[in-house]
Parts: sequence; C-alpha cells; structure tokens
Amino acid sequence: MLKDEKRFPGLSEDSRQLLQHLREHPRAPRYTATCGHRLTPAYLERVHTYEQSLVGQTVSWPVGGYPPWLPSFVAECFREVPFYRGYGAPPIQFTDIPTTDRSDLSREIWSFIPDSQALDDLIVYATSGTTGHPLVIPSHPVVSGCYTPLVKAALTGHGVTLTAGRGQVGCILVGYQRHAYTYPSVTPQQDETGHLKLNLHPDDWRNPDDRAAFLDDCAPEIYTGDPLAFAELMRLPLTTRPKALVSTAMMLLPGLCAQLTAHFACPVVSLYSMNESGPIAVAQPQAAGTYQFLQPRLFVEILNAEGRPCAPGERGEVTLTGGLNHYLPLLRYRTNDYAALEWQGATPYLSNLEGRPPVLYYAVNGQPISTLDVTRTLQPFALPQFILRQRADHSLLLTLPPHSLDLNAVRSALFTLFGSAQMITTEETQSFTEKVIQYQSDLHAPNL
Amino acid sequence: MNNAPLLETLTRRLAECPADFLAEPRLGKQGLVQVDAVVSDLMRALGGAALTTEQAAPFRVTNAKQYRNWLSVTLIACWLFSDATFSGGDGHQVYQFLLSQLRELAAVTPAPKFVTDPDRREELARLGLKALDLRPAGETPEQAQDRLATLNSAERQRVIAAARAAEERARQIREALAKKEAEEAADKWTRE
Repeated sequence: MLKDEKRFPGLSEDSRQLLQHLREHPRAPRYTATCGHRLTPAYLERVHTYEQSLVGQTVSWPVGGYPPWLPSFVAECFREVPFYRGYGAPPIQFTDIPTTDRSDLSREIWSFIPDSQALDDLIVYATSGTTGHPLVIPSHPVVSGCYTPLVKAALTGHGVTLTAGRGQVGCILVGYQRHAYTYPSVTPQQDETGHLKLNLHPDDWRNPDDRAAFLDDCAPEIYTGDPLAFAELMRLPLTTRPKALVSTAMMLLPGLCAQLTAHFACPVVSLYSMNESGPIAVAQPQAAGTYQFLQPRLFVEILNAEGRPCAPGERGEVTLTGGLNHYLPLLRYRTNDYAALEWQGATPYLSNLEGRPPVLYYAVNGQPISTLDVTRTLQPFALPQFILRQRADHSLLLTLPPHSLDLNAVRSALFTLFGSAQMITTEETQSFTEKVIQYQSDLHAPNL
Repeated sequence: MNNAPLLETLTRRLAECPADFLAEPRLGKQGLVQVDAVVSDLMRALGGAALTTEQAAPFRVTNAKQYRNWLSVTLIACWLFSDATFSGGDGHQVYQFLLSQLRELAAVTPAPKFVTDPDRREELARLGLKALDLRPAGETPEQAQDRLATLNSAERQRVIAAARAAEERARQIREALAKKEAEEAADKWTRE
C-alpha cells in the first residue's frame, strides 16, 4: 500500500487540510479506496507542457492525407514495440500496416509496451469494455494527469473555463454501481483543486440523504461521469449547480442530455473517450451529432469491413493511431465504435458516432445493477469473451466461448449478484461476431 | 542446370531485387501482389506445373499480423529462384523450401534485410542453392557447408540473444503488470 508521500508528492499544507476535510467530513461516503495523482515535480512539469501544447492548436490533416508526426511515430512503433516488430519491416503505404483490435491487447498486452519505457512507475487500469475482451491497460501517472487538460480543452469549446483552485473542489467523478472504488484526491495540475471519485449508490453512504448534503458542501465546479450516474444525480435534491457535466463511458442519448441541461442549467458535454487512448473527441455544441478531436497526436481513420479507408461521410469503424499513452502506442487500433469522418477545411471531425449504449440490469428484487458490477463479479474467471443479455422477462442469457472454465462458479457468482431466484441460461458459441456488444438488455432503462 | 553457379551472381541479383517483388503481398483484401500467383509462375518457369488450388492455399492467407513478413520474403525468394541458375530445378523442392525453411527465416528477419544486408543476401542465396542440392562455384561441399553454418551461426547467435532479451523483458513486464494490477493506479478526472 502506498503512503501519502508517494500518492500525493509535494502535497501543500492547503491540500493536506482539504484532503483531511474530505476524508473526515461527517456526511462523506464510506470511501472504499485510496488513490492519488502520483505526479512528482518532473511528471507534473510534463503534464503542464502537454497542456501548453493544447493551447491554440487545431487537430488537422487533409482529406486522404496524414498528420506530419505520423511517419516518425510509425517508425518508432516498428523499432520499439515487440508486437509491431513482428509485422516485419514498415510498409511504404500507411494503409498496408495491419490493424489491431482489443483481442490483440487482451492476448499479449505486454508486447505493446515499448522497449525504452521503464517499468518503475507503470500503473495499470483494468477494464471490461463492451467488446467481450477484458484487459489491463498499462499506463503512467503523467497519462492520467493529462486527462485534466483534455477535459479543460473539451469544456473550452462549450464556453466553460475552470477557475477552482486550492481549498476548493474542482471535479467530482460520479458513478452509480453496487461496488466502486471511491476516494478523495487533489489535482496539482489545476492548482491542487480537490477531486473526488464517488459512488451515488445509496449503499455506499451512511445515510442516503448524505449524498446531496455532501455534494452541496463540496460544490464542485464540474461533475464527470456516465449517463447512469447523471440520471441518479438529477434525482438528488441538490441546491448547488456545477458549471458543466462531462459525460463519458457510454453514449449520452439526446433525451437525457436535454433533461440534464435543463435540470442543472449548464452545458452537458459528451466526451468520446476510451481506456486505450484517453479522451478522443468532444461533442461540438454548434453542430449536433459531431465530435471535434482533442489530442494533437492522435490520428483517426474510418475503415470499412474490408479494412479500407472509407470516403468522407461514409460510416465505418473508428481506428486510432498515436495517443497520449506512451505505454500503449496504438497503431491502427480498431475501436469497435462506428462513425464517419468529415472535414471542415483541413479540420477533420467525427459524425454519426455510435458508441457504447448504456445498459442497466435489474436484480430479482428490482434493484438496478450496473454493467460495472457485472464486470467486477466476473473478473476472477478470466473469461476471454462473453455476452450477458437480460431478456424482457428478466431472465439472463450468458453466451460464452466453447469449453469455458468454471461454468458453475460463474453462474454462482451471478446468483450472488442478481439473487438466488434469478433465471440464468448459458450457451456456448463457436465464434463471436465482429461487433460483439458484451452487455445487452431487452428491458427499457428509465430516464435514459 | 548449372552445377557451379557463381554466388556473387545470386547475391547481386538479390541486391537488385525489383520493386515488384518488394511490393506489399496480398493478404485478404489488403496489399498488391498475389503471392500464390507469383509462386505458381515460378513453378512453371522451373519447368513444372502451375500450383493446384490446394498447393496455392498456404500463400493465400489473410492474417497480415502472422504472415506478412513470410510472404514478403517469399516474393524475394521467388525473384532469386527465377535466375537462370535454377532453371530446370526441382519445383517440389523449391515449394517445400518456401513453406518450411523460409518461414523459419522470416520469423526472425524482416524481409528487406534479404535485399539490403550482405550477410542475409548470402545466407538466402546459399540456402536457395542448398535446397536444390547445389553449391557455389569453387567451393567443396565442406566449404559450402562451413560458410553456411558460419552465416547461420552468427545470425542464430544474434537471434538467440535478441530472443532471450525479449523474453526477459516480457517476463519483467508481465510481473510488473501483475504486481501493479493489485496496487493503486493514479487519479484521473474521467473514467471510461
């Protein structure tokens, strides 16, 4: 277990007091974890440098062309990354480079870490995704730290500037699930403003009424979270209002977006982001359904089923090259998300993005169950792929590859989560289709 | 068939490999050169029959991540075997060479090296000759074998050392990932 000195390097007295206040607040939740920024002065400097690189920059490349940094990035991947070295020599045409997908990362994630990267401060995020391949993402505190400037850049386009600093709470990341890691932290790249990761599920709190009281006392400048958590946030009798809500992880449907905007009287910003790459693009306020790219060194292609680039405006699979995670350089990584690429001058943007739809399951007793709870429940079984579908009659259908291990144990874990009277059918399939939606429900999720 | 080919003729031929044989091999819908067709042409040029569908199948694979380099090396080898030196050679032996020994070579050496690197050019030329029970002009069987062994040995040492280093690095990373998975990560403002 880390000590606070390593968790919060260079912690000031102001921030120490803020952390203590958030930890000991009489109406605070029962925190389930400890976590800090882990940014040493040198790492913090790198985050500041990254933030400066975002100022005034426009992500651009011409139709049918490439950004100038791409050739050296490709050469570096073929030189430094064991997985890409296995392809042989770099091809002359960028489009002749084989594509990768989540199954490659899931099978041998270690072979994606460049030879030159030290392992001392490696950190790991476990993720389930919706494509049926659980995986661990190697990362670094600088990468996590760079999320803040990217969120700020996303907000700038919506006319929101963050000003909260030390002694105040800048951002609360909310979730709504049975079990979640929750903790208070501070953000040195934003003047040590407070940051909390919280779970709005009533079981996480000493008293469900504490949720609104604590959030009001924190009065964060923004909330980040997924649509399920925001739907719950809207049900709380909050008296304070944030400057913005930033929605990630799942598709924010227009109906809920409109409700949230009206309820909180602030912009609701939809961020297209994934663990493998970090924030990719932000919904543009002036052009509904379009997304503006955020990262200066992330090249996006749209590929058809045959792996060929689509024409502008033609929908296909979003495919990424580059990114900010130097522990996971992506080279033509197929995301399993679908969109079209269009241009305004030399500036590309995404349209018709079809991300991961929000899914909520229901236990036998009617309690909602988040997909994250299912992930957590099934994590010990190391299933290479699975699909869990809740039918309209509330029964569950679990689809697995042939000869999956621990079938009884898997069923038993699901009974624990959903209730012992839950109907569960398991079936095996020889092959999963290309676009696997891991979590599916025939039930209508209210307020979404 | 010429029983005493000049090695330099073959290594120069490799050094001058034309762009058509260095182009991207066709893998599924990607790439340019249909490798099975090139191999089939070679079989006929050697005086044999064109490939059957079954014989062509190994060269019509679609997994670029697994087969791209081998198919690229195959194209270069086809260029080599198209030299008059090999005219009248046993197509079956060449076919087996492409499927077995060449795969082993391709597993450790990027294709362009067989054009740009003098040692790899010589290695491929000598292996090609050996596949057809030939040896370079002016060399006894023992000399030819020694020289090939030396080339192979040096390359093998390099490959073994690189493989050991890669395995050690992979082991360190796997251990680090397992250890760090149980530890705290770092705070970030959004989760996916």
